[in-house]
Amino acid sequence: MRIVIDGTRLSVMCITLSIAASANAAFNIGIDEEARLPYWEIAEPGVSIRLVQRLPDQTRGFFQARGFSVEDSEVIAQSCVFQTVFKNISSPSAPSTIEYNLREWVVHAAGARHGLKTREDWEKEWTTRQAPPSARLAFEWSLLPTRQRYRSGDYNWGMSVFSLKPGDEFDLDIVWHQDGKKRSVLLKGVRCAPDIHLKPGDL
Amino acid sequence: MNILFRTAALLLWLTAGVAADAETGKIQTLTPLDKPFIAPDFALMGEDSKTYRLSDYRGKMVVLNFWATWCPPCRDEMPSMERAHQKIKGEDIVILAVNVGEDGDTVFAFTGQYPVSFPLPLDFDGSVIAKYPVIGLPTTFIINPQGNVTHRAIGSREWDDDRLLNTLRKMLKP
Repeated sequence: MRIVIDGTRLSVMCITLSIAASANAAFNIGIDEEARLPYWEIAEPGVSIRLVQRLPDQTRGFFQARGFSVEDSEVIAQSCVFQTVFKNISSPSAPSTIEYNLREWVVHAAGARHGLKTREDWEKEWTTRQAPPSARLAFEWSLLPTRQRYRSGDYNWGMSVFSLKPGDEFDLDIVWHQDGKKRSVLLKGVRCAPDIHLKPGDL
Repeated sequence: MNILFRTAALLLWLTAGVAADAETGKIQTLTPLDKPFIAPDFALMGEDSKTYRLSDYRGKMVVLNFWATWCPPCRDEMPSMERAHQKIKGEDIVILAVNVGEDGDTVFAFTGQYPVSFPLPLDFDGSVIAKYPVIGLPTTFIINPQGNVTHRAIGSREWDDDRLLNTLRKMLKP
């Protein structure tokens, strides 16, 4: 089953838009209450996936505080990072098993397509760049797992990296397997956070 | 058409209901492992400078949680873990929350905001979490009194929920 959803325009930033894409799928865009930044979300029976923008400044600050050099933190910060929340929301009385592999997800931007940069991809880069072990450990656990298997009630939060520039717009093929059946949604018009520098009280 | 509309509305309502439960942490599941395994032993220094050895808790049910201070769902479940810890005092159930990759000062500062009285062993170099099948934080394992890992939860739970605590009690006395 494949669903295409278009949420290209997030012009009215403070209004949550909820669209029923089909009788059993919904797509939401709005402002995440905790992060106070835009999110794109799909909610299908048993599954909820939310991508919340992260400002490059938040990302560089987070990783510098965990031992990365200024240069290495900048590499991550300039790579279009989202906080991703992937949940198995199936009821315990009708449980589903949800599995995903980020290597099946495809980013469509500026007429080209590429995959997400996963923990394993980054680990090679950190080895080359000789990042400190403690920083690499924090980085590994901060990212959304490359593969995961969720039972009812399970979920993860983690950063996902789209290898685009701040402010870029892209479409995303999100793929998962629910009780063995492949499901996918094309999330359209997702936008990387701009590289703005916040002052205290801006969010 | 009217029936179709009502059916669609009902489906959306049901979906929203389940999602709301998940967001408030009300899906209180502990997944039984297909293949229970012997819990790898460890000895780690706690944030309180005491040494915590898993095998010292043999004979008790252990709720073994892996977490980090920067992880939002890990923070979310800490207060409920503390309330659970208070509820199960005097029972043979213990909570060990192993911090991954952070030092004692960081965890000490965290406990200023999230005061807890159960042990917080420090897996500073990640050597203990590497022995367990953890893919994302937080992950919690249930270890039975014989030292076998039997259940798992990925993501936070409301640990003081009596339904969940009663499940643990039943496991303790099968």
